[in-house]
Amino acid sequence: MNIFVLNCGSSSLKYKLYAMENEQVLAEGRVERIGQENAIITHQSTGKEKVSNTMPILEHTVAIRECLNLLTHAEHGVIKNVNEIDAVGHRVVHGGESFSDSVLINERTKEILDSLAELAPLHNPANVTGIRAAEKIMPKTPQVAVFDTAFHSTIPPHAFLYAIPYSVYQRHKVRRYGFHGTSHKYVSQRAAEMMGRDIADLKIISCHLGNGASIAAIEGGKSVDTSMGFTPLEGLMMGTRSGDIDPGAIFYIMKKEGLSLHEIDSMLNKHSGLYGIAGVSDMRDIEKGIEEDDKLAKVAFNIYEYRIRKYIGSYVAAMNGVDAIVFTAGIGENTPALRTKLISHLPYLGISINEENNKKRGEDIEISTPDSRVKVFVIPTDEELVIARDTASLTS
Amino acid sequence: MDIRRVAVLGAGRLGRGIAETAAGKGYDVVLFSQGAGGADAVARIEKSLDRKLAKWGITESEKRLILGRISYTQDLRELSNADLLIEATLDHMHIKRELLQTADQLCRPEVVFISASSTKKVTDLANEISRGDMLVGLHFIPPVPDVAVAELVRGARTGDHAVEVAKAFAQRLGKTVVEIAESSGLVNPRTLVAMINEAAYLVDEGVCEAADVDLILKSSWGMKQGPLEMADRLGLDLVLNWMEQLQMTFGPRYAPCPILRRYIREGRLGVKTRLGFLAYSEDDAVLTDDEGDKED
Repeated sequence: MNIFVLNCGSSSLKYKLYAMENEQVLAEGRVERIGQENAIITHQSTGKEKVSNTMPILEHTVAIRECLNLLTHAEHGVIKNVNEIDAVGHRVVHGGESFSDSVLINERTKEILDSLAELAPLHNPANVTGIRAAEKIMPKTPQVAVFDTAFHSTIPPHAFLYAIPYSVYQRHKVRRYGFHGTSHKYVSQRAAEMMGRDIADLKIISCHLGNGASIAAIEGGKSVDTSMGFTPLEGLMMGTRSGDIDPGAIFYIMKKEGLSLHEIDSMLNKHSGLYGIAGVSDMRDIEKGIEEDDKLAKVAFNIYEYRIRKYIGSYVAAMNGVDAIVFTAGIGENTPALRTKLISHLPYLGISINEENNKKRGEDIEISTPDSRVKVFVIPTDEELVIARDTASLTS
Repeated sequence: MDIRRVAVLGAGRLGRGIAETAAGKGYDVVLFSQGAGGADAVARIEKSLDRKLAKWGITESEKRLILGRISYTQDLRELSNADLLIEATLDHMHIKRELLQTADQLCRPEVVFISASSTKKVTDLANEISRGDMLVGLHFIPPVPDVAVAELVRGARTGDHAVEVAKAFAQRLGKTVVEIAESSGLVNPRTLVAMINEAAYLVDEGVCEAADVDLILKSSWGMKQGPLEMADRLGLDLVLNWMEQLQMTFGPRYAPCPILRRYIREGRLGVKTRLGFLAYSEDDAVLTDDEGDKED
């Protein structure tokens, strides 16, 4: 069974083609600058040479058609024709309260997705554009939507409700939704596999630390709390996002600086986080700054670590314990110094770190010592594989 | 037709604002001006973007991206590859006529023309060009990037296609489009100058100082700016020009308060000369000292 996984942004898309029998990636690629004369399409079939073309691609339908042309290309492709694709899995950022799991797309699904655009105006419309474009090209192929929010639909009301007038939740559905759900689901399941235990018996804290960062408390395989909230702005410090901040400070800043709603929104989303403190948003630059004795780089690193530590503590309390902590995504996978510092601050959990394993990269690995009471893992995330698995299970 | 390149005729505050907003939404923009001040139009757009950057409204990379999409020209032939044309020139009929007629010759026949004029009628402008059915009025309010509404006007010959194109363009710029009937002055200049004029009379008659007029009105009605600061930011010469145009149509009720002409004679044009009804700092903020409040 071949599954085509699509992740559509407003001007870009990423794709992977999986053979589900052995979950092998047959090909992958991306299209950038959709809508422009000089769009770039990059494609690589497994075991073959990477190809990159620049061409006018003015809309998503054309972009997807070009991807399929490459997948079926005599030299660069891996399938003979499009009919060999059994189903398409789409990443959709926001499923609101309507979707607690992945769904087969039909007219009703699309209507609901359109109505959710308000909750994720930067992402959902682009995701839906991808769905419609794929349907146009492959009208007979089943399409599945896999939501970033779905894994967190098990969070109970005491954790998803904000302590503001209940009518605001009733009227506008303002509540914690959480994001990165597909990633948290994948790494927590993988950690359980590596422990050789049933996930139903485990309490796991997973830390997805990319440019956007979130942390989730997963009990018995179900998300019971997560740091991102109504939007991806809440929670941990991120590359350019502030994470948690006193709402009162926002009103004060707006008044003192004379800021509009757009300006304060932009400040908190694009000018804050690591960038706001140290002037760089990439953790590699922060680490370089620390080597060069840059005080603000050190401060930024310390805040970043402290915020994760606080959330871990609160989720240990929320679940009354923890069996494993997992790190994933760009910073989570590639910053051993952050993990070392963080773990050195958690002696009460009885963790000791295997420094040799902690330095390894690019593989699923346990970085705690065998005698650690709580296990710690680094697991490169694979959201596309989760999308492919969900798509296969809904369409086979 | 997919619109990607937008030509803006006129590099004044309105033209620059339209160019900045369109580039911010991904359009490639050619900004045309024959005037001597046009050469520094892109530098002035950069200054406007720098102010947004200072207020965290955009990032450094967004600023570079927006500027990279804007080019300035004095060569009308560059209009030939535009997908949409917007005229935002001074509200003088002879200037608009000449430019629109030249653009009519240069642009592809399917290109829709938009006039951002607030006092010249679309019907009259349409009579000057062969593609009269492709001309539509769309008035943006400065500062264009910040104001979320635009007034749309059909002329007698304007076709539905032109209206749809203009609506779609304005909506992509993030504007709520309100279609109104054709009338000199539309809604905004017509009501705004009436309020400015009355506020100017209060100052001229010595009822209160300019800052107090604005303070009372701002506090009473939740306005971000009072009418006299609005006038200063628009430019008192532009306000006077609007009033004179409206006076021609509607008669003496738009007769300008004498203080307007006096200030303009004295070179007090508002923010652009740092002094109008109020005084302004180098970064265009209202100065709160006495200098700004005094009439003379």
